[in-house]
Amino acid sequence: MWNLLEIRRRYDLRIYLFIVVVFSLLLLLLGRMVQLQWIQYKKHFTQSEDNRIHISPVYPTRGVMLDRNGLGLAVNEVSYKVTLIPERVENLDETLAALQTLMGWDDQKISKLKKQIKKTRADRASLLMDQLPWEAVAPLAARLHHFSGVDVVAGTHRYYPDAEQTSHVVGYLSLVRDVDIKEGYLHMEYVGRSGLERILESRLHGELGYKHEEVDAKGRRVALLKTVAPKMGENVQLSIDAALQKIASKALGKRTGAVVVMDVHTGEVLVLLSKPGYDTNKFITGLDTVQWNEWLNNIEKPLLNRVTQAAYPPGSTIKMATSFAGLAKGVALANGSTQCEGYVELADRKIRCWKKEGHGKVDLHDALVHSCDVFYYELGDALGMGALSSEARRWGFGEKTGINLPPESRGILPKERPSERRKKWYRGETMITAIGQGEITVTPLQMARFAAAIANGGLILRPLLEKGEPTDVVKKLDVPEEHLQKIKQGMRDVVASQTGTAYYALSRAHWTVAGKTGTAQVVMMADDEERTFSDARKHQDHAWFMGYAPFEKPEIAFAVFVEHGGHGGSSAAPVARAVVDAWADKQEAVN
Amino acid sequence: MDTLRRMDQVLLFCLLGLAGIGMATLYAAVHVGDLAIWYKQGVYWFVGLTAFFTLCFIPLRVIGLMVWPVYLFALLALALVPILGEVQMGARRWLDLGAFNIQPSELMKWALMLLLAYWFSMREASSLRNLSVAVLCSVLPAALIVVQPDLGTALVLLFAAMSMILVAGFPWKWFGGMLAVSPIALYILWQNMHDYQKTRVLSFLNPESDPLGAGYHVIQSSIAIGSGGIFGKGYLEGSQSRLHFLPEQHTDFIFAVFAEEGGLIATVALFLLYGTFITRILIIALRAHSRFAGLVCVGIASIFCLYVFVNIGMVSGILPVVGVPLPFVSYGGSALLSMLVALGLVMRVAIESEGQVSWQRPSSPLS
Repeated sequence: MWNLLEIRRRYDLRIYLFIVVVFSLLLLLLGRMVQLQWIQYKKHFTQSEDNRIHISPVYPTRGVMLDRNGLGLAVNEVSYKVTLIPERVENLDETLAALQTLMGWDDQKISKLKKQIKKTRADRASLLMDQLPWEAVAPLAARLHHFSGVDVVAGTHRYYPDAEQTSHVVGYLSLVRDVDIKEGYLHMEYVGRSGLERILESRLHGELGYKHEEVDAKGRRVALLKTVAPKMGENVQLSIDAALQKIASKALGKRTGAVVVMDVHTGEVLVLLSKPGYDTNKFITGLDTVQWNEWLNNIEKPLLNRVTQAAYPPGSTIKMATSFAGLAKGVALANGSTQCEGYVELADRKIRCWKKEGHGKVDLHDALVHSCDVFYYELGDALGMGALSSEARRWGFGEKTGINLPPESRGILPKERPSERRKKWYRGETMITAIGQGEITVTPLQMARFAAAIANGGLILRPLLEKGEPTDVVKKLDVPEEHLQKIKQGMRDVVASQTGTAYYALSRAHWTVAGKTGTAQVVMMADDEERTFSDARKHQDHAWFMGYAPFEKPEIAFAVFVEHGGHGGSSAAPVARAVVDAWADKQEAVN
Repeated sequence: MDTLRRMDQVLLFCLLGLAGIGMATLYAAVHVGDLAIWYKQGVYWFVGLTAFFTLCFIPLRVIGLMVWPVYLFALLALALVPILGEVQMGARRWLDLGAFNIQPSELMKWALMLLLAYWFSMREASSLRNLSVAVLCSVLPAALIVVQPDLGTALVLLFAAMSMILVAGFPWKWFGGMLAVSPIALYILWQNMHDYQKTRVLSFLNPESDPLGAGYHVIQSSIAIGSGGIFGKGYLEGSQSRLHFLPEQHTDFIFAVFAEEGGLIATVALFLLYGTFITRILIIALRAHSRFAGLVCVGIASIFCLYVFVNIGMVSGILPVVGVPLPFVSYGGSALLSMLVALGLVMRVAIESEGQVSWQRPSSPLS
């Protein structure tokens, strides 16, 4: 194998070849040097010595977000910035000191600016102050010749006209951070941080332009060589109706909660309101830590989007799902009736109906209208946890709605079996699940979609946030028309019947409403404990009202949720009334 | 003393020349700004030269014993980077060892060269069995470096390994076959590149397309080099670099400072110096007393050659921007230290081979 001479010869040859390669590569480099330093010398010399080329970015205008009627939700307002290009400044300390006197900045700001300027590339503008007050523009502009390298630049800043009400859907921007710059953003740019500002960042942002300027050694502009105009970001029209959102917000008042209104046919979301909101404009002017911490630690969690990110026990609003399950499985009770004595006995305990003295003889229709718990305890008991849970899943609970506003909560549905250790659910657990308590939570958005699905005959839609987006049917449920009619009539009589739980709030609404109240217990009582209300707000029940309108020819579906709001009928239903009335009046006015 | 007297004079002369040019150019690059960098580099030189002279006294058979442990240590360090590494500039490349940081990919280059030299000291790269271990040992670290992500270093590693394997007797017809399939490999590589890497390659192909980003470096450094002309602007007279137009002018782009101030005359001189330097290492490889010693020199020469070509190529705009230093000139402690250690090995080969016949028969590297 080892032919010594042959191997040695090959080794030598290849090293000689290596030497040849080394010199060829150097020759190649030499050729390039001759080209740069000899042939193109004149061109490069002029560019470097007398006049230099300064390339600076031209920022695109960010696309605006409009509501469905063209009202601005996120717009751009003209404003002035003070910028500084480090390499054009003759004496940074002096310049900053002079600016400090003129502008009245404090020492803290100056030291912060110095740090920032040190990080900025010498030939790039560094932002000294955004949204310069109008009174300050003229005095500074008049003295600019004293400050070489400093400039007052006209630009735009983001403004959210309905910041508090739309904070959770529109989101906000803030100034670039170091990580963004590594991803290709430039200094002085704003980046979407939350809500649609973040989700739609790539569409809203637009494309940077740039200009090649010839500048002399002192940095003065001699000529504009070339500009590539920036491409403005896309304007996005949302499905949100700002006026309706405002009315919902007003109806909810200072209470904590959520309102969702959806078009039952297209899935477009008209209202997506989570209260309390927060003033997103503060992110643009520069948020201080005090304010940020206040929002973070506020017990009402203003930063939380209650429509999509929070899940709550649905209470009685889940009873339609329980009813559908009963009807579909042909449980005798679903088509029969039972006697409500105000409680059911289970072993040695009593599980109570909300009405202590009982509802008497109730069938499915009565049970919906009066929200009788005992009927549903028995129906749930007959169905079992598996059937309850899978019916709820069929109607879109326990999974994300797919709205383009992540992150989104799935909510919780009970599993077939509770855990490895326990073989099955206790009967009591199944029974309270049938009335929307226990191990089940849903988001207000899921709830509105549920109402829409009942109204449109079983279409589970993906909620859409952009106007005119093609409707996206997640699934079409196969629900017998007869079952649907039964439930719908029950929901109608919740409002229309004098004994219905939402009669007072909604019977006189401008459109015929069908819906269901829900009062979800926050603290589970012992099974036979008297229902007592604690004064503490955190122990108050959550109030729900969900439904659709008009009853005969549904157009909108909604879910109103009031955190610790008390009774669904008295607390949540009036908010629905305000929204339905406003929308109905508007539609009537158009037609 | 006898050992020192047997050192290769030409190589030593080249090293001293490069040291002088390096320190002078670095001074020009930082003298209006942060002189601390220059002093630090002086300290690095001191430490590095100490290591260089120490290596001159370590017999090669001892080095041979350390080949596998060093390689495995480098591989382990590379594997630990994704888990423990420090994120710098969006990539995990550094490992924090308490008192100091190391860049395992830097260590791996030299470790792999040693390993390949050791492996082929007893074999030829002409059978698949002999090749498979070498290829595996090269591709594994390269893959780990690619995911850091540091495509440039991975490519340097693979090119250096390939030149090693070629010298070790890789059949030409196989090499031709590899060239034929390389377009497919390039396609797969492109598909798996990070966006910033694609931008770099694209902006290299057309620097005008992204004058604010990656193209900026190349445009500015080309202007700086070109404005030097034939005679240069004179030492400490470069305007481009003085006005901070040049990015990273004391590290990877330092050649632009040199070329601007020294002109074509100085660049030719520098090229001749580098050419002599690398050729001298290869001549030592020809005279080496064992195949192992020779191949060690070949591996080290190939890394130096790649550094010089890739660095100057990128600064002058004929290669994409890859983070590779200009040997002995760019600022940077760990790169300088590792290069001086490697050069110490070469010098040791020269010392041991002095007065011996070059190898005629395949021998164990330990003999």
